[in-house]
Amino acid sequence: MTVLPPLEPPPQKDLASEQYERGREMLGVESGLDSVDLVQLDDSTMELNMGPQHPSTHGVLRLVLELDGEVVKKCKPDVGFLHTGFEKDFERHNYQQCIPYTDRMDYLSPLFNNLGFSLAVEKLLGIEVPLRAQYIRVLMCELTRIASHLLWYGTSALDLGATSPFIYAWRDREKLLDINELVSGVRMHTSFIRVGGLLADVPDEFYNMVNEFVLTFPRLIDQHEMLITKNPIWRERTVGLGPITVDDAMNYGATGPILRACGIPYDLRKAHPYSSYDHFDFDIPIARNGDVYDRYLVRMQEMRESVKIVKQALDNMPDGPVNTTDRRVALPPRNEINTSMESLIHHFKLVTEGMRPPIGQVYQAVESPRGELGFYIVSDGSNRPYRCKVRAPSFSNLSSLPHMVKGELIADVVAVIGSIDIILGDVDR
Amino acid sequence: MGLTSDGAIANPRVLQAQDAGTIALPRVGAGERAAVQSGVVTTTIEQVIQWGRYSSLWPALFGLACCAIEMMAVGASRYDMARFGAEVFRASPRQADVMIVAGRVSQKMAPVLRQIYDQMPEPKWVISMGACASSGGMFNNYAIVQGVDKVVPVDIYLPGCPPRPEGLLDAVIKLQKKIAGERPGSLRG
Amino acid sequence: MTGPVAPSAATRPVSGSRAADLIARELPGLILRRAVAYGEETVWIPRERLVEVCRLLRDHRDGRYTVPQFVTAVDWPDREPEEPRFDIVYQLRSLEFNDWCRLIVQVTEDDPSVPTLERVFAGMDWLERETYDLLGIIFTGHHDLKRILMPADWEGHPLRKDYVSFGEPVAFTHNLDWALPALERPPELTGESR
Repeated sequence: MTVLPPLEPPPQKDLASEQYERGREMLGVESGLDSVDLVQLDDSTMELNMGPQHPSTHGVLRLVLELDGEVVKKCKPDVGFLHTGFEKDFERHNYQQCIPYTDRMDYLSPLFNNLGFSLAVEKLLGIEVPLRAQYIRVLMCELTRIASHLLWYGTSALDLGATSPFIYAWRDREKLLDINELVSGVRMHTSFIRVGGLLADVPDEFYNMVNEFVLTFPRLIDQHEMLITKNPIWRERTVGLGPITVDDAMNYGATGPILRACGIPYDLRKAHPYSSYDHFDFDIPIARNGDVYDRYLVRMQEMRESVKIVKQALDNMPDGPVNTTDRRVALPPRNEINTSMESLIHHFKLVTEGMRPPIGQVYQAVESPRGELGFYIVSDGSNRPYRCKVRAPSFSNLSSLPHMVKGELIADVVAVIGSIDIILGDVDR
Repeated sequence: MGLTSDGAIANPRVLQAQDAGTIALPRVGAGERAAVQSGVVTTTIEQVIQWGRYSSLWPALFGLACCAIEMMAVGASRYDMARFGAEVFRASPRQADVMIVAGRVSQKMAPVLRQIYDQMPEPKWVISMGACASSGGMFNNYAIVQGVDKVVPVDIYLPGCPPRPEGLLDAVIKLQKKIAGERPGSLRG
Repeated sequence: MTGPVAPSAATRPVSGSRAADLIARELPGLILRRAVAYGEETVWIPRERLVEVCRLLRDHRDGRYTVPQFVTAVDWPDREPEEPRFDIVYQLRSLEFNDWCRLIVQVTEDDPSVPTLERVFAGMDWLERETYDLLGIIFTGHHDLKRILMPADWEGHPLRKDYVSFGEPVAFTHNLDWALPALERPPELTGESR
């Protein structure tokens, strides 16, 4: 009777990195500027259209992939399927009317758009918003960051086949949308942050709702992490996938969690604090490798840091008004309108025409969940922006996608797109 | 109390006025009770076919912008669209019944929208979700198609920016009622 | 309760001064104009030296402006012929020195071309395509300058001031004589929406 030798366990290898190495070897590509380094077309490749209507492209993104078998040799994104002409619309509306437009650009984190635009106009006008308004802005923005990261987490897990995280993420996101609805009446697109302050002061139930959220949410993040962080399927699909070096990320203009996952602790909230972010104590999570798994870890940790900020804002919330009293922006008080003709005229002009910032150009950037969201406003002294350019983080982040997926398998392209966390409304504006 | 001899409610409005504080459940009539006990229900083929069609509407994934987020909310746990049979979002239009156009349709996307609509097999319906899909919304400019009905025929228009998830559920229910009232062959030719 | 007072914008250093001083030091006589407003410094440079300036800002150890923020153009059609029509605005960020700078190149309507920066910053590829698409600025030397946001066969550059943008006029009962639905509108009637 022959005795079979005992079965050896299969060699432990990181399949993702092995395929990645083989793919890179086949292409003969070293890390460089791939927009100039073009690969020659030959007959062994197939062109596949991952069209605008696709479940995993997070919106209407079209990718033209050049495949050799299943390995992606070249990827050309085709954007513009959601181009809405926001910048043209900004030129036709006065500053107050632009605020609801800003909501719809990065529609997953609308308050950041509001905040960036309002801060830019306030910079032009030279007004400083009261401290209570700044704290509430920080609080609502951090809650929006958590909501955005939760949806990103749900959808990218769904792309890779995990359906439970989607339901868990939405369960928690609904609580945040309830808070939005409490302060403004709308679930998304609140237009809560206006030039000069806020829409209105928060009602009394706000504190209890936010407090309850702050107390329960850290345990819920642990639940989410328990589902996939140490899951071997998740790790095998994402570790070592789509890495980008720090120099390449900076060269493409990629900011936000992509840069932080490469190891650079750069966060606009700490570097150029706006709206009293320097009063709060929080850390910037970074990772080392810059691959899909690290971006996931960075975002999960960012959610925890945001909860910390929300708790601090809630505990230290100052009293006071929530809107500036600067007469270039604020309406005159009612008793004055009844007695003074000039106040009445001023009120009329402010309501019908809007505020008139001085001539000039400003740039104000905020740290949105996707990266550096900036507003470059050129004013010619009239009541409408002469030119308002939006520096969209997803646009620059997406331009690094061809670099990240070169040499990956086509199934991994989906994971990489998910990890960049693009919002097509932000890309296309 | 307004009940006739076989137990059916004679005039529901009279009931409401008189019993404002109480809830009177309509009593099942003798005819129905007999049918259930014997296990035989009579109806028409058209009603059955339409019931089958509206009870399991499979939406084609066509979430474009912000309304897509609210459509996802409807598919999630709080506003559960699975109760109405419509939670199976099919990525391929060949397997879908209803196209919920959720979001703004730009000039570049309009031909794609038409192509996806053409790829859906009959019978098919379209719900235009949100202000941008119904009429162009707040974007009255060069880049957005002013209403999806310039490209595809629409059955239900759902206003809102974005419409609440309950609004989308209402649209699905109204579509179900509309389908119940249609005849099965009416969409052919 | 009162907390610590937030630092006002006046106490922050002027953004972009480091870049302006660096250019003035290393490439003397190149800067056409410098202006400081709202805590930001803007530098006007000539079009021919643009690539040189950006390489200097990116590579010099006192600059390290490695992250391209955006490139865009501002259209001033009434400035011609005294001043050029377009202001091409570039912004670069330096993570090391926590600073960002703004450069402006002015080009005329007859020759709206600028040398490309895509070999200096890879992200400029798409940003320049967007500026070409929406404003018609030609970036000479770009490997593939085609439209990125509008359909490929679109005519016109939407963000220029002479491009009239409207979807359709909204018909109310008071303007029904000219704001008809599109199918009933005679071809010579265009109608502004606002």
